[in-house]
Amino acid sequence: MSRRTVWWLVSGTLLASAFVVASMFVSGDRRILPAGAMTDAHHQLEISCETCHGTPDFADTAAAEKALNKSCLGCHEDELKAADDSHPRKTFRNPRMAGYWEKLDARLCTTCHAEHRPEITRVGAVTVAMDFCMACHAEGEQDVRVERPSHAGLTFDSCASSGCHNYHDNRALYEDFLVKHSHEAWLALTPMHALAARARAEGQSAATPLGPGDAVAPASALADPAVLEDWARSGHAAAGINCGACHAPAAGDASPDAVEAHWVDEPEMSVCADCHRTQASTFVRGRHGMRQHPRIAKPRDPRRALRGLGFDGMLPETVMAWLEDPAVPERMTAGEARLPMRADAAHRALDCGTCHMPHAVDVVRAAVEACTSCHDDEHSRAFVGSPHHALWLAERDGLAEPGAGVSCATCHMSKIERRGKIATNHNQNDNLRPNEKMIRTVCLDCHGLAFSLDALADADLIRRNFSGRPTVHVESIDWAVRRAEAQKRKGGK
Amino acid sequence: MLTFTEEILLLLGDEEGAFLPVDKHAFDCALAGAALLDLAFRYRIDTDLQALVVTDSAPTGMPMLDRILEKIVSRAEMVDAASWIRELSADDTETVREQALASLVKRGVLERKEESFLWIFRSVRYPTIDGEAVRGIKLRIEEALSDNIPDPRDVALLSLADACRILPDLFPDRKLDEAAPRIALLRKMDLIGREVAGTIANIQRMIVLAARAEAARFRKLRLTLAALGGAAAAVTLLAPRIPLPDSYGPNLLEHLWFDGIWRQWSGYLILGLAVAGLAVAIVIRKRLVTRIARSHRWRLSHFVLGVGCVLVLFAHTGFRLGSDLNAALMGCFLTVLLSGALAEICTGAPSRLRAVGIARPAKLRRHLMWLHVMAICPLPALLIVHILTAYRY
Repeated sequence: MSRRTVWWLVSGTLLASAFVVASMFVSGDRRILPAGAMTDAHHQLEISCETCHGTPDFADTAAAEKALNKSCLGCHEDELKAADDSHPRKTFRNPRMAGYWEKLDARLCTTCHAEHRPEITRVGAVTVAMDFCMACHAEGEQDVRVERPSHAGLTFDSCASSGCHNYHDNRALYEDFLVKHSHEAWLALTPMHALAARARAEGQSAATPLGPGDAVAPASALADPAVLEDWARSGHAAAGINCGACHAPAAGDASPDAVEAHWVDEPEMSVCADCHRTQASTFVRGRHGMRQHPRIAKPRDPRRALRGLGFDGMLPETVMAWLEDPAVPERMTAGEARLPMRADAAHRALDCGTCHMPHAVDVVRAAVEACTSCHDDEHSRAFVGSPHHALWLAERDGLAEPGAGVSCATCHMSKIERRGKIATNHNQNDNLRPNEKMIRTVCLDCHGLAFSLDALADADLIRRNFSGRPTVHVESIDWAVRRAEAQKRKGGK
Repeated sequence: MLTFTEEILLLLGDEEGAFLPVDKHAFDCALAGAALLDLAFRYRIDTDLQALVVTDSAPTGMPMLDRILEKIVSRAEMVDAASWIRELSADDTETVREQALASLVKRGVLERKEESFLWIFRSVRYPTIDGEAVRGIKLRIEEALSDNIPDPRDVALLSLADACRILPDLFPDRKLDEAAPRIALLRKMDLIGREVAGTIANIQRMIVLAARAEAARFRKLRLTLAALGGAAAAVTLLAPRIPLPDSYGPNLLEHLWFDGIWRQWSGYLILGLAVAGLAVAIVIRKRLVTRIARSHRWRLSHFVLGVGCVLVLFAHTGFRLGSDLNAALMGCFLTVLLSGALAEICTGAPSRLRAVGIARPAKLRRHLMWLHVMAICPLPALLIVHILTAYRY
């Protein structure tokens, strides 16, 4: 090989690398840079590096870790507060805890949840070995085996894997709660989702319902009778919401002229959010809508960066086009999901209308059919025909009380009450993983705590979508009861 | 008029100022012979088959020749031309060369250029300014090769050039096989030229014997290292990554492969070894080391560094090939290591390769060396991106 060829090859690759380096420090596509795939939780945001990596170039490790922590808390702090975090960061920032920092630095989220490390990423995006509890609870006054004889023979990898403890959220697992609910039967006498029942009762609007003839819209929009029919049957029409509310929100009044003047064929999601604020704010925190989360960093402006470097206006447009940061697509598609999805749904992009149908605004469809039209995992496929599904059909058909049915949304998008108003929580993650998060918000409405713990610890039963009885037994509730009784006896003496 | 020493230096140099790939001993012998010829043509010495005698001890006015003349005069016993060529080639040619080159620079035939490579390796080149002088010398040799009666001076120059075996380089378009009888005849006419050729042949025979013994000693070591490095590189490429222990506690492997500080150390160690390996290759390729034994040691060190690279690469990655740019970096690096190791096996054990069905190991070696260099080319760019990515994110 001639010397010239070698120099051409070296120079060519160095030139190519200059573009890659520019993508790091100026802007441009960086999809070839990550050291490893991101976790299932964050892969939707992979191209927006600055969402997490917010430090200036070449910041020191401490600053980088601090910035990463800030990024984590920016999205997850409220969730941790709501979960009454069992290991809050502030506890470990106390200098008295310095002895533990070397073992497991709980001041930093990234100690246990490092990104781009698929090889060591375990359930819950945990990147330390699952017996990590032993870092602090295996010796000294924190040694759990001293205070709890029942724990003497247990290994530390069973702390979080057997339905007994979680690191952050133990709202349904702490000892007093276990004792309090220890005598509950597996099924309540009147199994009913109280918030769902209330929501349906409160959902009856006092407004005058509208019919197809009341629709105010341009003639072209009224041409499709099916659309008109869908709307007329919808909750919107029942609540007196006319076409202009969504298609012409900028119109000052509902007069036909004003509506026509401001008519928008395909309204943005923000129009829905104007009325359904709780639903919208929780939607962007869940897997379906997280690409619209307000904390996601905007694409970098190459012109601004080049101006700072003194190269403003010096590069040709073709190079500038190459330096444009790709933006995070506004909507997630089913095809991009890492869970098993139906092939025919791959193209489907997720917004309010995807599940609710824009004109029918069908909450019944959105609760089951919308889910099963995309999700194709064993648990989802097993829902149809399960006891929960039978209850849902009974409620839907008026054969059971409102709130008696169990749909996909009942468990994964449970009802929440905010400022006296009941709404659907569109953030599935609020009660998804670890699955014990679901106990207080959903399961206990109908089932006893012991049964719920056992059912959620039985992976096979979950796959069968709870068709059958649990074959796994979580002993924590028995131990808690025995300990409480022993303490009672001791107190009595 | 140029001296023989100056003329032979001009013949041995190319236009860029580098010297033709002539063995150093032959080079030194040619310079020593040229100096004796200069003295002979200035009637200071005479030679016959038994002895070299001083006919006139008066200085020539040229420091480099007068120094040698003084040395010959001061010697009590009389020895033949071959002995003087051996002695002068060992002790005096460095000075002769420097003074002759300085004289050529002074005459405006050459210019002196000092250069450095990687800020460490310094070298001096003497590019030609006036090509007319070289063309004139070549023309004289060509005329001597024709059937005309040659000038004794040209016969002497031809004998020196032939002794150094540079005639094919000087006249690449001429069929020298046809002129071989004429060259042999002319060489017999010049005693000093003949002695130079004989001395060079003797020295080269000794060198070849010594070199063979040295080469055999180092070849086994190099082959062992090449086989070791090649096998380690192949394992790195094919072996599944080593799983990490799934338990909390001091974990050396997790530190090695996931801790930023540890990875920095191992990463920079690989970089250092790779750069050292490249520098050694350049030293060998550019003939910055000339002594054969030293050259073997440099080549051996190239393989030691290669094996070191594979071992530290394991500490850096644990058989993890990475994805995207990291995978490209690993691919190129392992290709460099594997192709280098296999090329050395082709060089060191051709008969064994033939025995296993590889008919032309030399051809295979050329292909492997091509791959070796090709895979090195993108490494600087990939390494820059790899390192900057680690610090930026």
